[in-house]
Amino acid sequence: MSAPGLPALLHLPGWRDGVRHVAGPLDGPAPTSVVLADGAGATVVPDAGPGTLLCLTGSVGIAAADAWRLEAQLRRAADAGVVAVLLPATAQPSGATRLLCSRLGVALLLADEPVLQRALEAAVVLAAPDVERARATRAVSAAVAAGSGVDGRGLVRLLGRLLDVPVALLDGRGAVLHAGSVAVPAAGLRTGEPVPQRVPVAAAEGGGTLVAHPVLLPGVRAAQRWFAGAAPAWADVDAVADCLAVAAAGLAGRLGVDRLGLERDARARAALLTDVLAAGEGPDAELRRRAAGAGWALDGWHVGVRIGTPATTDTAGSRDEVAAVFADGGLAPVVVEHGDGWSAWITLPRPPGAETVRALAEDLRQVHRTLRRHLRCWTGVGRPHAGPGGVARSLAEATDAAGLAAGRTEQGCFLHVDQLGVAQTLLAWTRTGTFPPAARSLLEPLGPPESDLVTTLTAYLDQESSLVQTAAVLGVHRNTVAARIARVQQLLEVDLTDRDQRLALHLACRAVAG
Amino acid sequence: MELTAADVPALVRGAEVLGSGGGGDARAGGVLVSRLLRGGAVDLLDPAAVDPDLLVAAVGMVGATVVFTEQLPGGGEFARALAAAERWTGLRAGALASIEAAGLNAATALVTALAGAGPDGALPVVDLDLCGRALPRLDQFSLAVAGSDITPLALALPGGQVVVVDGGDAVTTERSVRSVLAGGGGWAALAVAPRPVRELLEHALAGTTRRVLDVGRRLLALPDAPAPAALARAADGEVLAAGRVLEVVRHRGAGGGFGGGFGRGSLVVRDRGTSTLLRLEMENEYLLALADGDLVATTPDVLAVLDRRAARPVSCDRVRRGDDVVVLRLDAPAFWRDPARLCAVGPRAFGYDVDPVLVDPVSAAEAHP
Repeated sequence: MSAPGLPALLHLPGWRDGVRHVAGPLDGPAPTSVVLADGAGATVVPDAGPGTLLCLTGSVGIAAADAWRLEAQLRRAADAGVVAVLLPATAQPSGATRLLCSRLGVALLLADEPVLQRALEAAVVLAAPDVERARATRAVSAAVAAGSGVDGRGLVRLLGRLLDVPVALLDGRGAVLHAGSVAVPAAGLRTGEPVPQRVPVAAAEGGGTLVAHPVLLPGVRAAQRWFAGAAPAWADVDAVADCLAVAAAGLAGRLGVDRLGLERDARARAALLTDVLAAGEGPDAELRRRAAGAGWALDGWHVGVRIGTPATTDTAGSRDEVAAVFADGGLAPVVVEHGDGWSAWITLPRPPGAETVRALAEDLRQVHRTLRRHLRCWTGVGRPHAGPGGVARSLAEATDAAGLAAGRTEQGCFLHVDQLGVAQTLLAWTRTGTFPPAARSLLEPLGPPESDLVTTLTAYLDQESSLVQTAAVLGVHRNTVAARIARVQQLLEVDLTDRDQRLALHLACRAVAG
Repeated sequence: MELTAADVPALVRGAEVLGSGGGGDARAGGVLVSRLLRGGAVDLLDPAAVDPDLLVAAVGMVGATVVFTEQLPGGGEFARALAAAERWTGLRAGALASIEAAGLNAATALVTALAGAGPDGALPVVDLDLCGRALPRLDQFSLAVAGSDITPLALALPGGQVVVVDGGDAVTTERSVRSVLAGGGGWAALAVAPRPVRELLEHALAGTTRRVLDVGRRLLALPDAPAPAALARAADGEVLAAGRVLEVVRHRGAGGGFGGGFGRGSLVVRDRGTSTLLRLEMENEYLLALADGDLVATTPDVLAVLDRRAARPVSCDRVRRGDDVVVLRLDAPAFWRDPARLCAVGPRAFGYDVDPVLVDPVSAAEAHP
């Protein structure tokens, strides 16, 4: 690694509060060695060569009357290639002396006592930069090994103190969970790639490098958390990366333990749900007790909700998030990890009216939309059913609806059984294999299933023959829809006001669309 | 040559330059001379052209020049000091010289001559002095440095007392005179006992008043706000910096020189063209010049700070932050550039632990062929 520059020295633990930079450039060549000199009266600077950090330990420059002597020393130092001069803080360089430092290109640093201690610290770091890096990583691993305070907040605080750079803990999607007083510019983080990352930060956002390390769990591809550090230009990026890696490993252990409990709970819930579904109308006292223990109401009216996800989704890990989205929507359903997705139901004390069901469906649609922002999923909602068996019935409807919703991107992958009614049953029948060929031949004059005419006809029938709704769903002008429907009637030689013909076409469209 | 009232402005201006920031207010001396000269004149004699046996007494004023300037004396003190020295030695001066032909004392020999003028006219003044520029202490008089005695000498205090100092070395004499001044009115007229020109040609500096007049005349001939280079030409020196005074710091009684009683100070001029930071260290006079921390000039070379517009020297006690100035270095008189004498007037004589920097040092061989 390269030698630490003056800015890095100024962030050494002893230097942070004990040394101030008062004049001259900080971005010059990095110092390579430390030379001590009793500056008082000395007319030569001993051993000071290019790259020296010169520590004047005498009383030169302390008395204001000695300004000329200090300036003469600074000049000789500059001529010898010295990059910085460290003085006791009792020296009070005048404005002209500071100006001279800028002219000479020598950084002037003032140190509180003990000045020699500060010089020694600089000497150690310059001689062996790795020692300083090892000190930080060792402190992090010691904290992780000790185990106490190895939570996100504790680690963020520890890292911030040891590295003296802003550090934050982000969730899997990059949102800040814990951070110090200084924000970490994490915009450049690619959360989709769970590997250690280094991203240059734009100068407008403070410059330097964003260093990030994912917290991974065995068997889970996505990063659970990210440790992110904003390493300024002066900082040793490798040291920051090393410390974040140790912290990530420590936190992964902690998350693993939490995960174990999570999975245990998920398994217990899934087993209980299976028993409830199997028991139907007559759960025994033992099952009722278990359900009550889990806080599940088996009596009353139940509206089932099925949220389907791809097989890769971490349903156990994300359950709490899903429950939180429901809670944000003012709903408190039972949510159970079940297969590839979640089964949930909302229990109502008395039979819900049509208005209540519609409002509930609207709330659930809103919940579904929120989930879709972060998650690929499809949602079905069943009709209200009463009693312990109602859970199974409503969930069965919801599961069928979810299966249909998966392919219905034009409806946002959300279906409510009430809006389909009997058609749902018919649809189930259209999947039998004898119907699709007939349906295809019926619609053949309109072109392939994905043609504009078939799509428009499907949407038109789905939207209860409303030109306005159809135009909105397809994103075209209503006149376009009217023209297409007229053409459909002409090509198929049908009358869409005839309910029998309309039903047959609707079923054919549904079967062709799959 | 004859000095008349017309020569006084040039005398004052040149005396200020060779004052090197100190030496007292030359203008006060100028006012005194003008008042006494009226329509008359004083003979200024070339020391090489006068009878070597002519007895010459060096006179001048010592002590706090501020007090002197506030209450201009009539000139009688100088006559009394001279009379005391003559009476003590029994020798009568045929002519006068100056103890220090720069600053205020550039005029005091003339004042003494005019104030003591009898019916047969004023004594002539020989162009000889003991400093060649402004110097703060009696032990720096050329007589002492060249191995002669500065005593016997007589002091006339403004209160009327007369003190004669005889015997002892130059350092003791300096100490005695300072204590007399501290107990008296702060200043005194001083007369060194008369001695033949032959001796003074060896132990004193010749031609300082001529130099003062030349520099003064050329500076007065300059237009308003002259270029720094023109100023340097007129003063026969070189420009060290030209620009604003960035900071001035004064420390009371911090002087490291002999006695240590004088206050010290420091000022920094930022050159307008090169941005070079020129620091001048001062006591009674400007003593060291450091350009960006590099020692570029020292006493005994004359360091003069001139107001850029008026081409008028600014003394150590008057220089202020923000002044627009030109800093000049003028060669020290050859007498002081001799290595054997340098130590008496170089930086170490003022407590600065650095070697003198002289642009044109005179080798020992040259000084004593």
